[in-house]
Amino acid sequence: MNIMIREMKANLKSLLIWSIGVLAMVIAGMGKYAGMKGTGQTMNELMAEMPKSLQAIMGTSGFDLATALGFYGLLYLYLIVMASIHAVMLGANIIAKEERDKTAEFLLVKPVSRAKVISMKLLTALIHIVLFNLVTLLSSIIMVERFAEAETVTDGLLLLMSGMFILQLIFLLLGSVVAAVYRKSKKASVISTGIMLVLFILSILINMTEKIEMLKYITPFKYFEAATILNNGKLEPVFLFLSVFLILAFTTLTYRFYQKKDLNL
Amino acid sequence: MNMYLHELKAYRKSTIIWTLSLIAIVVLFMSLFPAFSRDAEDFMKVLEGFPEEVKKAIGLSFDTLATILGYFSYAFLYIKLCGAIQAMNLGLSIFSKESRDKTAEFLFTKPVTRTQVMTAKLLACFTSLILTNLAFILAVLGTVSMVKTEEYSGKALLMISGSLLFLQLIFLGLGVFLAVLLPKVKSVIAVSLGTVFAFFMIGMISSSTDDEALRFFTPFNYVNDYYIIEHLRFETSFLLVGAVIIILSVLTSFLVYRKKDIHSV
Amino acid sequence: MNVIELNNLTKMYGKARGITEVSFHVEEGEIFGFIGPNGAGKSTTIRLLLSLIYPTSGSATIFGKDVVKHAPEIKKEIGYLPSEVFYYDNMKVIDLLKYSASFYKKDCAKKIKELAEMMELDLTRKIDDLSLGNKKKVGIVQGLLHEPKLIILDEPTSGLDPLMQQRFFELLENENQKGATILFSSHILSEVQRLCDRVAIIKEGKIVQVEKIRTLKENNYKKFKIETVSKVPDELFSRLPGVNQLEVKGKTISFIFRGNINHIMQKIAGIEIANLWVEEPDLEEIFMHFYQREA
Repeated sequence: MNIMIREMKANLKSLLIWSIGVLAMVIAGMGKYAGMKGTGQTMNELMAEMPKSLQAIMGTSGFDLATALGFYGLLYLYLIVMASIHAVMLGANIIAKEERDKTAEFLLVKPVSRAKVISMKLLTALIHIVLFNLVTLLSSIIMVERFAEAETVTDGLLLLMSGMFILQLIFLLLGSVVAAVYRKSKKASVISTGIMLVLFILSILINMTEKIEMLKYITPFKYFEAATILNNGKLEPVFLFLSVFLILAFTTLTYRFYQKKDLNL
Repeated sequence: MNMYLHELKAYRKSTIIWTLSLIAIVVLFMSLFPAFSRDAEDFMKVLEGFPEEVKKAIGLSFDTLATILGYFSYAFLYIKLCGAIQAMNLGLSIFSKESRDKTAEFLFTKPVTRTQVMTAKLLACFTSLILTNLAFILAVLGTVSMVKTEEYSGKALLMISGSLLFLQLIFLGLGVFLAVLLPKVKSVIAVSLGTVFAFFMIGMISSSTDDEALRFFTPFNYVNDYYIIEHLRFETSFLLVGAVIIILSVLTSFLVYRKKDIHSV
Repeated sequence: MNVIELNNLTKMYGKARGITEVSFHVEEGEIFGFIGPNGAGKSTTIRLLLSLIYPTSGSATIFGKDVVKHAPEIKKEIGYLPSEVFYYDNMKVIDLLKYSASFYKKDCAKKIKELAEMMELDLTRKIDDLSLGNKKKVGIVQGLLHEPKLIILDEPTSGLDPLMQQRFFELLENENQKGATILFSSHILSEVQRLCDRVAIIKEGKIVQVEKIRTLKENNYKKFKIETVSKVPDELFSRLPGVNQLEVKGKTISFIFRGNINHIMQKIAGIEIANLWVEEPDLEEIFMHFYQREA
């Protein structure tokens, strides 16, 4: 418990900054929608005919920009990128910082097992990403409701946010694995954000051509795309399964490696 | 001179890694161009069947986008993202590392003025960015001429890829400014990634909604690639704003750095 | 009962040496010194004991329990003071001490106050703003506030002024009399000489010797200084087993001898001497002998 309280406090400021960031993002993004309403119906028809790569380059990617939720779909990509950055850095940092700041000599000579230390830290991180997710969800519901006309948006938003939460979990644990495995604690957050960026660019590349479609299983950014989620009304089972697998694997690896790690002080 | 060489050497590895990643993005994106251009041709045929006004609505931007330059501009967006992170990281890290690695007592007790320290560090940053850009431009010219399907304006290509340096200098300036201003930068990547992504997203919102005023708030949109493709010149007002930001941030950094209290461990 | 026991403890960093086959034991209630030059493996050994790093081979037990398997349990009764202290930012001294105390299931408030008073530590200051010496004091209080049965100290005195050092030693002796066992690593011999009952000497990752301080000082070693009437050949003493740190300056010969004193006396009887001193060497001189032996 004491470790959790300590960690909650230590990461509070960054959570606040990120929450304000995501709040501003939702408000500014949806605010833009107000001035955008009324793109013609024919455009949507035409867009449907457009190959995916062209849609990507034109910046529309199969959203009905005429509806509030459709416009929100465009915003969603950036929201999940933000959420992922926050999660991956939180995960890497919360594990690596004891070594980086040399406080491991304080904490790990206390009568607690390393497993417990990790559990406490991961639990704290979990609370943080839940809070981040809630801030996003609430602000999204409020903002999208405001502009929605006849459509019901809450269900769609809930689905989108549960997708985002899974992504957050995956990246949080990716960060913690890197921090647990990698010897140099200072580099942990750099490496894990590097991996995240590569996955992000990969997801953009996949949009460009059908040829590398298969790679979509590698990058979590392709797991939950607003367009598919909103059109199908559910998260894709294949990707849900894959996510669960990744989450379990990363969790196990974090515990395994951290328990065996020679601390580098 | 010794400080300059020391810093240059210290960041050699990271410069190489960033340069290689930028080149990799160029090569990856451009290798997908042949597939993309086939998609585009197919779509042209579909477009034939649509009424005249629709063609007009989409036609103009589409003609620019479907060319190799348009395609490159799209890829360039993500190159800019990486380039901005590189530059900001560099500026932030090089000016905060004395307090972070606790080497301040070493450096600032040597017979050099703060101005000399700062100049040497800035020059080192500048050199490493120039090297990155040279390698990058060569890679662009090489790959583009290899995958091209039709003639294109070499001048426009050069202007677009050359604008990376401009963007990087702005972010370098911001990074230096933040490093000097903030009392303690614990995690360089957290600050730089947060800032860069914030501007990147403002940029995306601004371009997907065609908001001219918003463009001033994000360095990512100071240079409009499509404007270059059409007019073969930069937009002076934005160039000026960028230049002012660079100069102001460097100047204030100099002023603050000279008077800054250096705290020991 | 042995509080600490090391059995052929080995730690390799890749192919580089950490420590090799280190074995010794620390008995309950003693103050055990652990000395060796920089980089000899003192900190590596201590970090192995605290399971901050894990052994390549061999094992160690504390209170009869394996240090790897029972780490959390063992640590309830250990207080540790690292050579360099770093603590969490943005905390006041008292916050850190309370955080530290929260790991042990006992009330430490009284002990904290007592220790802070003794070490003259201001509990309301921010740790960030403290000087190195004051941070060290925080470390001392932090390591002792739960009245541990085993106190492990890794070069603890750096940064403390002589007065505080004195008080710190008194504190340690006090805890020792109350029953605490102490493992004290240092490269400063006078400290070890003043405080410890027994000492292990480590060099290049190996234990060179474990001995009682008193034995080390009194029984085995003699410092000889001989003034001869005429110059004698250097080989006269250098060939003799047990002779160390031989120095010949003109007609003056000095060395440290360990072994059967009769052998050396017979040798000396064979030459014509002008003067002779036989003294107890101090620990420093004995220690130098271990440092240099293979150099």
